[in-house]
Amino acid sequence: MSDSISAESKLLTADSYTRPTFQIRSSSSSKRWQAVVVTALIFCSLVSLLTTIGIIVTLALESWGFFADDRIEIWKFLTGTKWTVGQTQGELSYGILPLLSGTLRITGIAMLIALPMGLISAIYLSEYASKRVRSILKPTLEILAGIPTVVLGFFAVKFITPYMLAPVGDFKTFNATSAGIAVGILCLPLVTSLAEDALQAVPNRLREGAYGLGSTRLEVTLKVVVPAALSGIISAFLLALARAIGETMVVALAAGSTPTFTLDPRMPSQTMTGFIVETFKSESVVPGTLGYFSIYAVAAVLFLITFGITLIGQIIRLRYREVYD
Amino acid sequence: MNEPANKKREYRSDSRRKLFSSSFSVICLLVSSIAIVVLTTLLISIFATGGSWLNLEFLTASHRENNPEGSGIGQAIVGSLVICLICGVVALPLGVGTAIFLEEFQPRNKFLRMFHGLVQLNINNLAGVPSIVYGILGLTAFVYMFGAFNSIRVNDQPDFEIGASYFYQTKTLGGTYVKFPAVAEIQPTFEIQNSLKATNADGESFHLNLVSTTDDPLSYQSKQSVSVIRGTQAKLSNRDGDEIYESQTVDGTLFRFPAKPTYSQFAKILEPITVTGPDGEQFELNVLSKADSIPTDDLVKSQSVFADSPDPKKRSSASIFRENSAFHMHLPFSKSVLSAGLTLALVVLPIVIIASQEAIRGVPQTLREAAFGMGATRWQVVRGAVLPSAIPGIMTGAILAMSRAVGEAAPLLAVMGGVLGTTNQLSSLMDKTPVLPVTIFKWAGDENEGFEHLSAAAIIVLLAILLLMNSVAIFIRYRYEKKLGT
Repeated sequence: MSDSISAESKLLTADSYTRPTFQIRSSSSSKRWQAVVVTALIFCSLVSLLTTIGIIVTLALESWGFFADDRIEIWKFLTGTKWTVGQTQGELSYGILPLLSGTLRITGIAMLIALPMGLISAIYLSEYASKRVRSILKPTLEILAGIPTVVLGFFAVKFITPYMLAPVGDFKTFNATSAGIAVGILCLPLVTSLAEDALQAVPNRLREGAYGLGSTRLEVTLKVVVPAALSGIISAFLLALARAIGETMVVALAAGSTPTFTLDPRMPSQTMTGFIVETFKSESVVPGTLGYFSIYAVAAVLFLITFGITLIGQIIRLRYREVYD
Repeated sequence: MNEPANKKREYRSDSRRKLFSSSFSVICLLVSSIAIVVLTTLLISIFATGGSWLNLEFLTASHRENNPEGSGIGQAIVGSLVICLICGVVALPLGVGTAIFLEEFQPRNKFLRMFHGLVQLNINNLAGVPSIVYGILGLTAFVYMFGAFNSIRVNDQPDFEIGASYFYQTKTLGGTYVKFPAVAEIQPTFEIQNSLKATNADGESFHLNLVSTTDDPLSYQSKQSVSVIRGTQAKLSNRDGDEIYESQTVDGTLFRFPAKPTYSQFAKILEPITVTGPDGEQFELNVLSKADSIPTDDLVKSQSVFADSPDPKKRSSASIFRENSAFHMHLPFSKSVLSAGLTLALVVLPIVIIASQEAIRGVPQTLREAAFGMGATRWQVVRGAVLPSAIPGIMTGAILAMSRAVGEAAPLLAVMGGVLGTTNQLSSLMDKTPVLPVTIFKWAGDENEGFEHLSAAAIIVLLAILLLMNSVAIFIRYRYEKKLGT
């Protein structure tokens, strides 16, 4: 008898897994307790839902304050090519195109860097890299991903502009290119890790089949693995795009505070996020004024764009995912 | 006949295709190593700029205008840590709770199932929302609270406040400061600084639209009958026994609103009152009139003030000030540490949820089945079997989320503005504080060359903090993850 007890306790203390601490049978009180807990958990989940609702309601209500102003017409807001909100002198122009084009210019440059480099790095990590190279590259990318964006902004304005761009051409102190490069660096780890996940999800059977037909590693990668992982890769690209459009501190530091409507990458280019930060930094905004409401109108446009891109990315990932097994 | 021959050629590994393949692998390696080059360059350039400015004084001093040599990040480090702490205390329970709900409680009820799917979709979308948008949400929801309360100005009493006491303070002839409690009274005039609800002569109620003198009158042309210039004085009057304030809008429409007690900015001392001295001792203040001469005895001198002196500089005028206890709170939260912490909590919430979900998903199904088999309820399974095994993963995710929070600048700029230094120590949740990322941002944009170096030095400190947090996360992962062994 005592032997069996000691054997049982031995079995329990030899915990290869965590030993349950609850009583063995669920009583009615423990069921009642569970109902309480579930309610609490539902309230926790409500917070994230309320955040989204809060963002939408806030942006809608306060943007309404902008468009309800007698001086503002929504058509001019969407098509105007001059933005002077926040400036105290001169005529009031409130066309968002300079800010939008600033965002797109910088995003474009960033994507030119991050997408090809990210995809190639992902391919290398997933298909080619030896364990040793991987053990260097992976942590490097993780560290790069963890660097705060304000640090990359500092790097852009104090290193990229004066030491990389100034010797090459007539770049202004604050310009779209250096901000674009820094945002590209920022998106690189994101693209790499998401695309690598997508590539690794492709089952080895496909690779082995292709090798069996006599393909080289390049052919296996480009003709079999990448097409199979395409939905994941595209959704990674879209997430990086949304991230670049929403990036704030880099552009606030490196892209300058002049809204320009041009294609010249050497010129300063204030973005939508840059305008918002500039307004907050100066602390000159009084609630209820046009300058205050304009932040919300710009933020609403920004939110619609990034939210739309994220949503499309999710749909592509879920709908076009190739499911094996 | 030709076709099969072609096909054969295409599928044979000839030397050209092999060459392509191997050269592609070299290109890949070169492109991938750019990341290493970038990281190294970044670190070297920052250390070269700021390394020599890093010393103990820098770590403890606070920001000084136009004086990079004397400036430091003492306040900013404390501020960053406090805000991170608030963020963690709020975001972790909420995040882990949501993750448990999503992973372990798949509801059978149709409505709850819809809610479940909606929350999951929503979290993935929230992770893609730019952090500056969260900042704007925080500004509206926490700082101004959708304008539901009067906004807070210096030394003004907010609508809802606890943990603060108001005093009038004055300087005695001996140069010491004494204080006495302030009493809220209905003031004869009231300066309109906030949008409030008013009633016009016809008894219709409306919200005042505040405009400023610098605004273009055209911009509120259609709303003239409800617009008031900020700072307009309203006069106290008595209507049917109720005390009310009356004033006019820009087009001359009369309106009124109920009066409530407020503190006046200054108080006159005309008769002796009991005051508290600098060392906390209480005594009767000795009030002198114009005819009296200044007492010679030091003790008497330090307990005397002039009610009215020929020299206006010596005339006693007590001005209001607020003493905040550590649990000082008011609504709205205004630009404070609490607003900042809550906003950051919203920013990192999706990250915490996703990381916790992954950790919970990693717990082997056999553990749950064993617990169920012993008759446990679902919550008992979660608490007793799932959570203990998922905790290391959750902790790792939590620390990574916190390290994201430490480096966030944009939402904090939105919520607290570009604070570089405060005169008072951080003493309650309602205080403002500088934080590391915002300090870096402001210094990097400063025209004074020296601040560029300080900014780099602050970056080194920030990176060191991040490195420390990440090492802890890696340690936890390494130390505890082996236990479950698959």
